[in-house]
Amino acid sequence: MADKETPPLDPAISPSPAAAEMGEADSEPSIHPSFQCCICLDLLYKPVVLACGHMSCFWCVHKAMHGLQASQCPICRNPYYHFPSICQLLHFLLLKIEPLAYKKREVETLEEEKHLDCFSPQLSEHVSFERVHLEDVKQSSRSPKSNDLPETVFKSATGKQVSEDDVICPICKKLLFQPVVLNCGHVYCDSCLSGLVDGPLKCEVCHSLHPKGFRNVCLDLDHFLEEQFPIDYMTRRDSVQLKKAQGPKGEASSSVSQAEEPKVGKSGKSKYNEFFFDGDSANVHVGVGCDSCGMYPIIGNRYRCKDCKEKIGYDLCETCYSSSSELAGRFNQQHRPDHTFELDDSQMLEIHKSRTVR
Amino acid sequence: MSSSSTSFASGGGVRPWTSATSVSFSGKRIQKEMLDFNANPPADCSAGPKGDDLYHWVSTIIGPPGSPYEDGIFFLTITFPGDYPFKPPKVVFMTRIYHCNIDAAGNVSLDILKDGWSPAMTISKVILAIRAVFTDPDPYKPVVPNIARLYLTDRAKHDEIAAEWTMRFAR
Repeated sequence: MADKETPPLDPAISPSPAAAEMGEADSEPSIHPSFQCCICLDLLYKPVVLACGHMSCFWCVHKAMHGLQASQCPICRNPYYHFPSICQLLHFLLLKIEPLAYKKREVETLEEEKHLDCFSPQLSEHVSFERVHLEDVKQSSRSPKSNDLPETVFKSATGKQVSEDDVICPICKKLLFQPVVLNCGHVYCDSCLSGLVDGPLKCEVCHSLHPKGFRNVCLDLDHFLEEQFPIDYMTRRDSVQLKKAQGPKGEASSSVSQAEEPKVGKSGKSKYNEFFFDGDSANVHVGVGCDSCGMYPIIGNRYRCKDCKEKIGYDLCETCYSSSSELAGRFNQQHRPDHTFELDDSQMLEIHKSRTVR
Repeated sequence: MSSSSTSFASGGGVRPWTSATSVSFSGKRIQKEMLDFNANPPADCSAGPKGDDLYHWVSTIIGPPGSPYEDGIFFLTITFPGDYPFKPPKVVFMTRIYHCNIDAAGNVSLDILKDGWSPAMTISKVILAIRAVFTDPDPYKPVVPNIARLYLTDRAKHDEIAAEWTMRFAR
């Protein structure tokens, strides 16, 4: 019966323009399953990792966010308010693992961005160049046969080997074990973060606060590391477990007491959390995000930059305004520290207002 | 989840952060889903575009064995919104069916097609969920209360009617 009824669909499928691309897509090398975006089902481009550890592309996360209330992770539905920054470590890792596919995604995305006249952050080329350059120096110091720079850069840009230097934790300087990506996009071992001093969870590199203190291991990256560096990964696991086991009698007492804590740290009760009482809609700026911490929508006071000319504007939330953060905009705005801000409530959610807008 | 943030995009002037979803984005994603679906189709199901339009699909589901819908062939139309996958697809039964979660017009009341939608969901997951509702109706959230009542009070009678409808409309 089934066979009798289903065939009529098939001829309907084949003449469609989509079918023409079938062959093309089939011939494409399949992407590493860990690095497939759950929203566009394509290779991750400019990956963003949510607090729950699930990742998607920059634009996919942005489009999936709510703008009116808490957003939910597409996979685990964990509610979140902050649009995390791009994880540069993953970005450069993907550029190494899938150079061709990643470049292709870059071209596609740029085309769409031009169409929308809104751009994702340009990850500073010189950083990547520095990284590559550093590696080349290291490589050349290891192996005597060193080429001149442009060639080696090209080589490492298309080569598929990922070195451990690409995936080290800024705290312990070793291979990442159970990596956690903070809101700012920096990656640490989970165990290293538990070792930090008491108080709100803060990034050691850029000193930005991690909202709510909630964090989770990015399992996809973790699996990749285990697969890529099996021996070193095992060593790291053993040493972390040993440290945990030694626990109370072990070395630094402060780090130990933290390590025992559950993943949602004390910092969850920090001042930062005061904004996030659900159901408060009086101070919600609909569809406006903070360009520093990524809070979207902004709850509380909103400060709009008067000098940024980009259509998307540049806004800060109360916390980021008072801490005078100097991060670049989330959408590549050319914001500079000498720009002036004004308090803005034009997008404030009020019941009657929201009705008329609709 | 359900309220659209893009609806505010109509207001001119400062449009902070809110971005429009491009048609090419949804088109690409639907194409990918089509390839994935054809590569590993769920058991006893089929789905694909109706004609040249990627956004309108036809799907068939064979009634799962052990249910009163066994061996019935159910046709569904799937319509993708322009901002798919950020909004759920619309799924409508074209074949009449006696089921407490599917109304007379063929509308399926399924949480994942409404507030429970997530952009990580795919059509093959939706079809699997619909297929699961065949074997396990949810009489506590019915769209046809009469069928739900019968399901709860006289299961044998319910199954008999459902099987009869399947014979009449789905063969």
